[in-house]
Amino acid sequence: MQRLILIFIVLISGVLTAASQSPEERYSQAGNLYSSGDYSGAAAIYRQLYDEGYRSEDLLYNAGNAFYKSGDNASAILFYERAKLLAPADEDIDYNLQIAGSKITDRFETVPELFFVRWFDFISLLTTTNIWAVLAFAMFALALLLGVIFLTRARAKGRLLSFWLALAAMVLSVVMLSLALRNNSLVNHNKNAVITCSIVTGRSAPGESGTELFVLHSGTRVRVEQELGLYFEVQLPDGNKGWIRADCMEKI
Amino acid sequence: MKSIVVTLAFFLASAMMFSQELTLTVDAPESAVRGQRFRIVYTVNSTDGQFSPPRFDSSFSVQGPQQSTSRNVQWINGQMTSVSSTTLIYYVVASVPGKFTIAPAQFVTKKMTVSSPEREILITNDAAAPATGQQQGQGRSSAGNAETGSELSLKLLVNTREVYAGQPVSATLKLFSRINISGINELKYPDFKGFLREDIETPQLKSLETEVIDGVQYGTGVLQRFLLYPQIPGDIRIDPVQMTAMVQQRTSMNDPFFDDPFFENFFSNVSTVPRQVATQPLTIKVKPLPEPRPADFHGAVGSFDLASSLSATEVEVNDAITLTITLKGSGNLNLAGEPVINFPQGIEKYDPRVTVKSTGTASGTRSFEYLLIPRNTGTFEIPPVSYTVFDPGQEKYVTLRAAGYTVTVTGNPGTVETAPQAYVPGEDVRYLGQDIRFIRNGDGRLAMLPDTLVTATWYWMWFVLALLAAAAVLLLRREQIKRNADIAGLRNRKAAKSARKRLAKAESLLKTGRDEQANAEIARALWGFLADKLSIPQSELTREKCYSSLRTKETGEELITEIDRVLSATEYSQYARVSEGESPAALYRRAVRLIGQLDDVLD
Repeated sequence: MQRLILIFIVLISGVLTAASQSPEERYSQAGNLYSSGDYSGAAAIYRQLYDEGYRSEDLLYNAGNAFYKSGDNASAILFYERAKLLAPADEDIDYNLQIAGSKITDRFETVPELFFVRWFDFISLLTTTNIWAVLAFAMFALALLLGVIFLTRARAKGRLLSFWLALAAMVLSVVMLSLALRNNSLVNHNKNAVITCSIVTGRSAPGESGTELFVLHSGTRVRVEQELGLYFEVQLPDGNKGWIRADCMEKI
Repeated sequence: MKSIVVTLAFFLASAMMFSQELTLTVDAPESAVRGQRFRIVYTVNSTDGQFSPPRFDSSFSVQGPQQSTSRNVQWINGQMTSVSSTTLIYYVVASVPGKFTIAPAQFVTKKMTVSSPEREILITNDAAAPATGQQQGQGRSSAGNAETGSELSLKLLVNTREVYAGQPVSATLKLFSRINISGINELKYPDFKGFLREDIETPQLKSLETEVIDGVQYGTGVLQRFLLYPQIPGDIRIDPVQMTAMVQQRTSMNDPFFDDPFFENFFSNVSTVPRQVATQPLTIKVKPLPEPRPADFHGAVGSFDLASSLSATEVEVNDAITLTITLKGSGNLNLAGEPVINFPQGIEKYDPRVTVKSTGTASGTRSFEYLLIPRNTGTFEIPPVSYTVFDPGQEKYVTLRAAGYTVTVTGNPGTVETAPQAYVPGEDVRYLGQDIRFIRNGDGRLAMLPDTLVTATWYWMWFVLALLAAAAVLLLRREQIKRNADIAGLRNRKAAKSARKRLAKAESLLKTGRDEQANAEIARALWGFLADKLSIPQSELTREKCYSSLRTKETGEELITEIDRVLSATEYSQYARVSEGESPAALYRRAVRLIGQLDDVLD
């Protein structure tokens, strides 16, 4: 009984100390752990901050580094990919992702995405979905204003100009809105996932009964096509599809 | 052979002339081991006589005798002295332990009889004997062969049977012999699979040393000492070491005629026969080193100390200094790898010179001498060397540290460097390794995941609201335009009416003769009509404005000039006498016609 109380007190105090530390303090504590060589300790703190809902490119980048150094290459790739969604033009993330990616077992002949899709995605990731949404609304409002001017000021001098400006603002608004939607689907509902099990078999049907189609190793990026209970249908970078256990992957 | 017989015959004859005191001695061990062969040697200082052996105990198995005679003859001042002796050797194996008495033996010559003293012998039960295998109870002719099998053995002695991988095993190859060996023909080592063999310098075996083991005298000699470094864990068998020794062996003629002990002396021969012996196979248990191995473990197993020394801490640029890392202790010094030292950039490092000084079996020093040449001036930090070894005694990894140094490099690097590298403007950057980049410090700019606008309904409501607002603005504006348009229409419709009213007033004024007032009324009618028809406010009403407005309505130039004339005429008549211009009645008619025309055109 006494022991139980003791354990309870220890647990409570543990929770309290964890709660009393601000996320910034924990973040810098993880940085110190990393510097002193305790990579798995640092990775645990970064992971916890991520799970609590904190986001920043630095946090995700550091988490990737900590996982890489502690030997968890799959998680490192996962976090680098996540960081890349917040900072698409960051050169450090690309470099580290390339190093971590060079240790993946599986190699694929990948077909690169169409250039305008890549550009569109890149532009959509340059800022957050909410900023795109606000800008889109501002453009919409501007287009309306110019439209009203065009329609009411029958004899004003810049009547024609206001028409073209209104049209341009409307097009911009539509583009920005689609950027906002694209950003949201990339950052918050990304269909790509990273294999976390060291080895996993892809089958032709969900469950253990399907014909074995392929074997994947940790760190490989796949695209989730369908979700059915404990199994996800994934598409490999070379286009093949198969069903894989859902607990063997983590979405980006 | 013939000469021997002749010599012997001569000695036999001459021995008759000298009578001498006869003695018979016996040489036997005080104790022997059951089942082990021992020798009983009788020696008598005479050659002619009859030796009668004692009656040995029935539990003794006796072979022999081997008989040999010798004679030494000296002539001194014409006096001849002769010493002769006969030796008889019995090989005995006792099968029952206990105390036994060897009865006296007798030697009978023509003149006298001597007896040997009585000897007691203790036969013990202990059977730990070095000899390998025995053959007994065979025929006489094979007795000689049998004896070498047991009398000659080869042993591989190791200091331990259980080691860690890499921990050296000290092994000694030792020969045990109780017979004469004239030489060693061939020493064949097995391949020592799983071991790395390192020979220790061993002096060549020249003579055997006497060693008594379990009461038995052996001639022993160390053939070779060596160290075995186990390379793989597991129970590793060492195959036998084989040796061919040249053994001196007595051969006898198996001729029935000469099958007599007496003749044996004359017709037996000592010959050298090759004989093979081998060690027993050994099994050494090699334990694997515990995992995980530290990163700076380079294979050194043993008990060591680490020291470092630097030849100079203050040096001119391009002058060489030497850093010596010394590993001292016992263990597998030869297999200890080079320590990893991260020399600062700007100091040129050459591969170390490795020297091993051995001070005995598997102990000594191994030193790594790094030649360093500083190529830049400044202060350089040579980091402390850390070197992890496995200590089998403590059964764990021990990290050794040696001090680091700070080197101050002075001098002018440019002057010296230009000489050898005159035509090299620079050098490519050397990339030493690849690793991920370091983490970002700072507060991390952490932010909670915000709600997304595009998925929120109220965001889309903004668009609807904005659209509604714009629509409302448009509607209001339309309403206002419409209302303004109505006012203009009213004025338009009323224009002709109010103009006719003014013209009627002018007509009545004309009739009463008030021409000036009539003219003013005509002008007012025209101006008012134009203002109402063209929707021009009264304040902005000028001739030019009216004309430009009329021109945009494409009323025609004649009409405009007509308006201009009428207006000028009315203005003129207001300031001059009527008689000078047109009559007011004519002007009135023109004005009526003009307003009618304008009403048609502008409607």
